[in-house]
Amino acid sequence: MGNLPLIPAADPMPLPAPLWLFKVLLLVTFLLHIIVMNFLLGGGVIAIVARWRGAKDEKFARLSRDLSKKIPSLLAATITLGVAPLLFLQVLYGQLFYTSSVIMAWPWFMVVVILTIAYYGYYLVAFKDQKNNAAVLGWVLIGSVFLTFLVGFIYTNNLTLMLTPEKWGKIYFQDPSGWNLNLTEGMLLPRYLHFMVASLAIGAFLLILSGLYRWKRDVENARFLIQYGGKWFMYSTMVQFLVGIWFLIALPKEKMMIFMGENLLATIAMLAGILLALAAIFVMSGALRKEDPRKGAITAMSLIGVVLVLMVIMRDALRDAYLAPYFKLSDLAVKTQFGVLLLFLVLFVGGILVWIWMMKKYFFGAQAAALKE
Amino acid sequence: MNYPVWDVSFGIGILMAIVSVTHVFVSHFAVGGGLFLVLTERKAYRENDQTLLEWLIRHTKFFVLVTVVFGAVSGVGIWFTIGLIHPSGTSSLIHSYVWGWAIEWVFFFLEITAALLYLYGWKKMDRALHEKIGWIYFGAAFMSMVIINGIITFMLTPGKWIQTHAFWDGFFNPTYWPSLFIRFIFALALAGIYALITGTWQKDEALKGTVVKWSARWVIPAFVVLPLVAWWYIHSVPAHVWASAAGKMPTATRYANIIVIFSIITFVLSLITLLKPRKIPFVYSLVIVATAFMTMWGFEFVREAIRKPYIIYDYMYGNSVFKEAVPGSAGMDVASLDANGVLKVAKWIRPESREITEENQLSVGREIFRVECQSCHTVDGYRSIRKIVNKKKWGFSSIYSRLGLLDKMFNGVMPPFAGTEKEKTALALYLASLSTVQETEEAAVAPKISGKEVFEQHCSDCHEAAPDDPLFEFMKQYDVAKISYFITRLDSLNEEMPPYEGSEDAREILAKWIHEQFK
Repeated sequence: MGNLPLIPAADPMPLPAPLWLFKVLLLVTFLLHIIVMNFLLGGGVIAIVARWRGAKDEKFARLSRDLSKKIPSLLAATITLGVAPLLFLQVLYGQLFYTSSVIMAWPWFMVVVILTIAYYGYYLVAFKDQKNNAAVLGWVLIGSVFLTFLVGFIYTNNLTLMLTPEKWGKIYFQDPSGWNLNLTEGMLLPRYLHFMVASLAIGAFLLILSGLYRWKRDVENARFLIQYGGKWFMYSTMVQFLVGIWFLIALPKEKMMIFMGENLLATIAMLAGILLALAAIFVMSGALRKEDPRKGAITAMSLIGVVLVLMVIMRDALRDAYLAPYFKLSDLAVKTQFGVLLLFLVLFVGGILVWIWMMKKYFFGAQAAALKE
Repeated sequence: MNYPVWDVSFGIGILMAIVSVTHVFVSHFAVGGGLFLVLTERKAYRENDQTLLEWLIRHTKFFVLVTVVFGAVSGVGIWFTIGLIHPSGTSSLIHSYVWGWAIEWVFFFLEITAALLYLYGWKKMDRALHEKIGWIYFGAAFMSMVIINGIITFMLTPGKWIQTHAFWDGFFNPTYWPSLFIRFIFALALAGIYALITGTWQKDEALKGTVVKWSARWVIPAFVVLPLVAWWYIHSVPAHVWASAAGKMPTATRYANIIVIFSIITFVLSLITLLKPRKIPFVYSLVIVATAFMTMWGFEFVREAIRKPYIIYDYMYGNSVFKEAVPGSAGMDVASLDANGVLKVAKWIRPESREITEENQLSVGREIFRVECQSCHTVDGYRSIRKIVNKKKWGFSSIYSRLGLLDKMFNGVMPPFAGTEKEKTALALYLASLSTVQETEEAAVAPKISGKEVFEQHCSDCHEAAPDDPLFEFMKQYDVAKISYFITRLDSLNEEMPPYEGSEDAREILAKWIHEQFK
């Protein structure tokens, strides 16, 4: 028993629904979470840059103000949409996730504290930004964005540590007090950067979406938003190719091979992802040269939407490849709780409808329309 | 046992307490405050009170900054924290109630969206729509409480779930309804109490008077009803569980007293606001907030305290050991640990500690302490075991005999020791190494020791000095000599009792003291 990885037994309670349903819910809610998280992080960085350029150019100042006002709500959405995948992750991989969390307990606990500080910082900038305190609030914004990136770094640490049970015993018994990270992990840095650079690219869509929303009211500003956002998207996606390659070669060989033919789905997902991302850059660059870039921008965003789905699938395939020596999801017992599952599905659909109704009323309601004119 | 223990020297329980109590004090406001917002909005429009409406807009901002930011993040924080300090318990709650949590998440999502739209909608929406969003907010917030209340009460009174493991059996458990009412009524009171904060901040005295009077109408009736619901709650908790809070255990009893005292103070302070509502200073509202906080704190702590020694009553102990084996519990139940040994069954034991030898007994004892005791105790911090063994003047043999009856001590707040005799010895040796008491001293007489002190040292872990305690009920029929004789034969009177280990002189003093009590 001595040197074998210390993997806790899975929970005695059987899964209350078929495995595939949990997997679908995990991946779908994770996708939604990652999109708003990208808006939040990318929007934060662009807000800082635009704030800096705004000293000389009013349209950048306006962009920064607009973004700063949106960020608190994006953080709210990121947290709220993060709860669901974290729940389903604990259902499927709890015995791995809790263990890695305990090993790096302090940083993991600090996520909550860091997030609270960043959150109030964002609200301070959103509610109190005036000429006389601009310098201070600029720093507050930078601080909050930094803290949000730090949260992402802690997440990457935990979710990579979770995949490598062979390392746990050594780290834990050296220091059981929870002051650990997973810094020796080879894929840590490229994996983290892969997510963060993606945030810049996807965050740029926030600008494009604002541009589309404003097109009829204020063409000039809308065009600027699409142009500027389009550039952020293109340049960061180009960088992303380099980071992606680094991530791939940082993987241990047998894990890398799942994208090189060993796992058909993962291989196709990666090839299609690369091609679609390239296509999106070309389409976007074409669109930005046009008087009306809207159609091209929408096409590029849709292509990237597909890429995101593929990336989520690849991420999941990589996770299961890492865990294959230790644990098979299909070993988990299943005993479906039909009644309450049905109740959840009904409320889920109902909740989405109510949510759409609220958003529609808010953004496209009668009075909102009147205000636009 | 199954999971590594987060080894924090000051005690992880404190961290949990801070995160959870601050969260509940805000999350209940999030529920009651939602109703408060909509009803105050209606009131302002109905009475055409523009200043009240403007205050309400500012109050909404305060509400969002408190509930959406701190409330939501600390709620996630509780989840993070329980996962770190009690992974097995968290895993049980997640696996038994995934769909409960998932439903709660749907409401949480609506709640957060509606709160933000209600805030930003003051300027953008027409009245009717804005009010509708407010109702959606309140409905969603209320429903998230309806769900989470089922899971929290399940932990204390799982009811039929213990046999069936069926979702609804555990959800609608014996304390579900009274707990829901207590929480909702408290939430309404908190809506008024938080409104006092922004209300008393106002300079306009007429406005301040209006808000204070209106807030008092939320707080006062709630505190009139609370005792009734509390009575209902107490009677829904099984008597043997409630006994801890009713004088059988100091901590739980203390928190029960805190609730009574501070709810009365909060009630009286709220009544006083009605005397001169226009003149209530801001600081006064903070005092009410503090007393209400103490009341809430007391309630949550009583609930936690009477649940001991379990994390999920009758299913899993606080130290993650299963009370009885269930399919998949991987040998981590008391009987199996007694038979096979914690060093063999527990996952997170150092490889070199799997076998006990002459040399490693102390360090293995320390490891057993970590996996079995450290969910509640620390060596030197919170509930310090070093302090306890020294205060009680225990040496090895006292400790060893007490490890055999942990679940009888202090009205049963501790799980039994689970493991083999050898492991118990190793743990006792480790604990004795923390004690400054030597074996020889343990039996020696302190010349002027009182009967009460001897009682404290030898009997009080399981018995209390009360007329209805079995010890006194039994002994009262006998004279001093007979009592003294019985003390030498404790283990034959009741096989669960350890033998008396003190000196003969102390025994005489104790016998005399027992004889004099409760005549």
